[in-house]
Amino acid sequence: MPGQQLIMTFPVTATSHTLADYRARGGYQTLEKALKQMTPQDVTKEVTASGLLGHGGAAFPVGRKWAVVKLNDGQPHHLCCNADEGEPGTFKDRWILEHAPHLLLESMLIAAYALQVRNAFVYIRGEFDLPYRRIAAAVEEAYAAGYFGEAVLGTNFACDIVIYRGAGSYVCGEASGLITSIEGKRGYPRNRPPRLTVKGLYQRPSVINNVETLSNVAGIIASGAEAFKKVGTPKCPGTQLVSISGHINRPGVYEVEYGYPLQKFLFDDCGGILGGKKLKCIIPGGISTKVLTAAECEPLTYDKQSLEAAGSSVGSGGMIVIAEDTCMVRLLQVMLRFYHHESCGQCTPCREGMGWMHRIIDRIVGGQGRPEDIERLYEISRLNDGTTICGMGDAAGYATIGILNKYRDEFEYFIEHKRSKLSGNLEVAGNA
Amino acid sequence: MPEIFINGQPVAAKSDETVLQAALANGFYIPYFCWHPSLSIAGNCRICVVQPEGKNWVEIACNMPATEGTRVLTDSDLVRAHRKATLQFITLNHPVDCGICDKAGECTLQDYHFEYNGERSISHEPKVQSTKFVELGKRIVLDNERCILCSRCVRFTREISKSNALGIKERGDTSLVRAAEDASFDDDPYSDNVVDICPVGALLSRPFLHKARVWYLKPTPSVCPGCARGCTVNLWHRKPEWRLAALDPQQNVSIARVTPLENPAVNGPWICNKGRDLAQIFERPRARQPMQKGKPVDLPAAIAAARRLIGEAKHPVALVSSWGSNEELAAFRNALGNRFTAFVKPDHVPAPGERLQDDLLIRADKNPNTTGARELFAQLPAEAADAFAEATDLVLVWGEGFNFARLPRGAKVVFLNAWLQPENGYADVFVPVSIQTERAGHYTNFQGVVSAFERCFPKQASVADAETLFAALALPAEVRA
Amino acid sequence: MKHLIPEFDKWKKRFPAGFESSLVLPCVRRIQEEQGYIADSDIDALVAYLGVPRMQIEEVLSFYTQFRRKPIGRWHLQACRNVTCSMMSAERLIDHLARKLGVAPGHTTSDGRFTLSTVECLGSCGTAPVVMVNDTYHENMSIEKLDRLLDELGSQ
Repeated sequence: MPGQQLIMTFPVTATSHTLADYRARGGYQTLEKALKQMTPQDVTKEVTASGLLGHGGAAFPVGRKWAVVKLNDGQPHHLCCNADEGEPGTFKDRWILEHAPHLLLESMLIAAYALQVRNAFVYIRGEFDLPYRRIAAAVEEAYAAGYFGEAVLGTNFACDIVIYRGAGSYVCGEASGLITSIEGKRGYPRNRPPRLTVKGLYQRPSVINNVETLSNVAGIIASGAEAFKKVGTPKCPGTQLVSISGHINRPGVYEVEYGYPLQKFLFDDCGGILGGKKLKCIIPGGISTKVLTAAECEPLTYDKQSLEAAGSSVGSGGMIVIAEDTCMVRLLQVMLRFYHHESCGQCTPCREGMGWMHRIIDRIVGGQGRPEDIERLYEISRLNDGTTICGMGDAAGYATIGILNKYRDEFEYFIEHKRSKLSGNLEVAGNA
Repeated sequence: MPEIFINGQPVAAKSDETVLQAALANGFYIPYFCWHPSLSIAGNCRICVVQPEGKNWVEIACNMPATEGTRVLTDSDLVRAHRKATLQFITLNHPVDCGICDKAGECTLQDYHFEYNGERSISHEPKVQSTKFVELGKRIVLDNERCILCSRCVRFTREISKSNALGIKERGDTSLVRAAEDASFDDDPYSDNVVDICPVGALLSRPFLHKARVWYLKPTPSVCPGCARGCTVNLWHRKPEWRLAALDPQQNVSIARVTPLENPAVNGPWICNKGRDLAQIFERPRARQPMQKGKPVDLPAAIAAARRLIGEAKHPVALVSSWGSNEELAAFRNALGNRFTAFVKPDHVPAPGERLQDDLLIRADKNPNTTGARELFAQLPAEAADAFAEATDLVLVWGEGFNFARLPRGAKVVFLNAWLQPENGYADVFVPVSIQTERAGHYTNFQGVVSAFERCFPKQASVADAETLFAALALPAEVRA
Repeated sequence: MKHLIPEFDKWKKRFPAGFESSLVLPCVRRIQEEQGYIADSDIDALVAYLGVPRMQIEEVLSFYTQFRRKPIGRWHLQACRNVTCSMMSAERLIDHLARKLGVAPGHTTSDGRFTLSTVECLGSCGTAPVVMVNDTYHENMSIEKLDRLLDELGSQ
């Protein structure tokens, strides 16, 4: 185990996702505590005190987001759980949906109570089938048990929930794209102001939180903020569900306590590199985070401060492990193709920039690269930093700049020699 | 009233304004494509960026609330670099169609390119190609390659005309403006406004397509006579120096296109399609030949004959045109008001299928000056019997639209009309009169707002001006020998 | 679509008042589940039922990759070609599928059985490479497993 566990605390069995099993583990007692012994303000205070950060990629302090929603303002409020999980490399929210759906639901009920939310939503990407069936079944179980509906646990707190399925769009994982999708439209992200906590779903105050973020709430309310802060590091409390994949021997979802040594995680817990190869680099938190070379990884602990000091970030927790001899030009090509495909097309820098970058790198890989292409990729990336409606432009920029910074030689080689410096195949050498 | 600072200068903004609005209202120009004062904020073009003082980034001004103490720079190096970059992005795939594009000369992208960029594209990639002559009905053609996806047209159909006729399909740089599949964009009576608000030549008027370069034309302010709203418009026609001898001379004196003349009190920045098609009204075949019972006579003879009939009549009734200008109506009242029992008639009634009335511009009364006329005269009753007393012996019909079958039998008819119609030959005296484009004047709309129209075309000599005609008709008839 | 209306009515009750527009995505998905694609007549019927502008539905159908306006093959093979899957041989798998089925990605075999598509990250990178067949994820795929799968599906 990479440190203390807060969420993956039980063995996965054929029934561990059911209400009965969840209740046997103490489930829904915290909801009762919150509804009967705490005020909504108490709940938000506890979450704020815990220092819980968002696990969707932005690491925004959760309590601070919740506090913007004005209680008793006479308006309906909404809580939307972001289960879109579209960031390449990320598959950890899926674990919660499949194996701990009631943990999410109980946490959402507590959050809904804190935010005075009558109608909550789980936005789940359309491709997820088993995770959808599990969470939908859990919702039916919860309704039958009186955890949702007009009078939750017999109190005057009422809450309804809808599982809303997406239909294939990365940008619907962006909070404002998500709510526009729930409104039955294209998932076009929105400009801020206004913040979604002021005008969100159908222009009502709305909180959008990631699956894992919300799933921490029950534990924080059960054991208190102080107990939560004892896990992880003082500046980065708690844990992160890390989904690790790529050229690693034991890919999968692991709950990593913040502060855990990264090397230990990669080489002990996850079994090291496929085929006994050397590590080349990792992309720590989904492809939108900057790549870290093996040397840079060596001294790092897995937490926000350590990764940011190294020039990257925790991101979505989607860690991709890349072995030696993997062509980074080809890798960036796959990423840029993705961003190009997923751009919603609203704003000029991203709409035109993604296509441009994709065409440039296709040209490089096709043997028609020009020396100025590298600077052009940098420039387009920089021009998408902070200038777009949503963070996707920035993300593509970070991915590109990160790889160009560390592996410029491979790009220069490809342009000059019209082929990869390495095998050009993305698989671990010897596996193909 | 928040005070903000633009380029160091204090500006008094309104409390619900954005920095862009405050800037434009106070003489600071910030370029914009997707913003429009009458539409919701889209914030997608990103060219309106400004630099918050002291920061090293830029933000769009169209969505930045003007709050007390906001300080921005609109012309710093950083802002200029971003504008240039935005234009590089926009022109990345924009086809250089200027040579064949009707928007040339009034194209925002052209203007901004020369103002803020002025350089060739730095891209080595072939431009993304797309559909280029998409017929959105008979009135509007769409070129998706030129389109910069500002979404003004889509927002217009959602928020203003409410036809929801347009949308954006697909995504990314293959996004396409498209019309809804269930109806033609022609069914939206405000469709042509998208041609005005499109900042580039993506949406163009088909009737106007390739008819003239915009710099061949000059606008004359006028008032649309299509209904009682009286939207102010610009009638565009050839400048004298651009009239070509080799051209069909009719083209030199015809209306090339009609655009809204922005008017906060009446129509804002919009007009309906009927106003766009004013040439169809004004350029119908004209009556130019005075007649007596169908026999051609010269104008003085016709006037003299009419004067005699008026002098002899014991119970004359006048049907006054609701297309008469305030000046013509006053002239009628002054010259002949005492002599005639006068009623205001509707020259035009709604055509089959024409939208009657809505919340935007269109009014059920399809005449421009019913209000001006009703200030002076009574409305024509629906029943012919109520209009014409038994003893009516002369009817002066001014303007088109009156069904001659309703005329009292035995009464003489003096008919003043601009248009070539069979009724002209039936009248005892027929005098062709001028139309709005051949004179200046005013109409009063249904709200009481008075708007002016100006002359743009010459009047033929054989055609009379109603205003002066009425005085001539009132003179005592020459005594017969 | 008419026979689905009782189901849609039930869903409507789970949404708060004024959320009719939200029903577009779930209704479209349900119609597609039934008949494999959304016909023009379905769009008309949905417009009548929900009262949303037709353009909204047309836009939604073109924006989301999972919605189709034309029928496709019986088995929709959606092969992920994103980062981890590509690192775990997805490119070879896709080439193999294209050669074996005789169609390029984005096309359907002439017998109407298989449609081949490449898709972006499916959120299953730990079991890469992944091929989604209709609604089901097939994980840890290899060329051998794909061949077996094609045989199985072909015989159904």
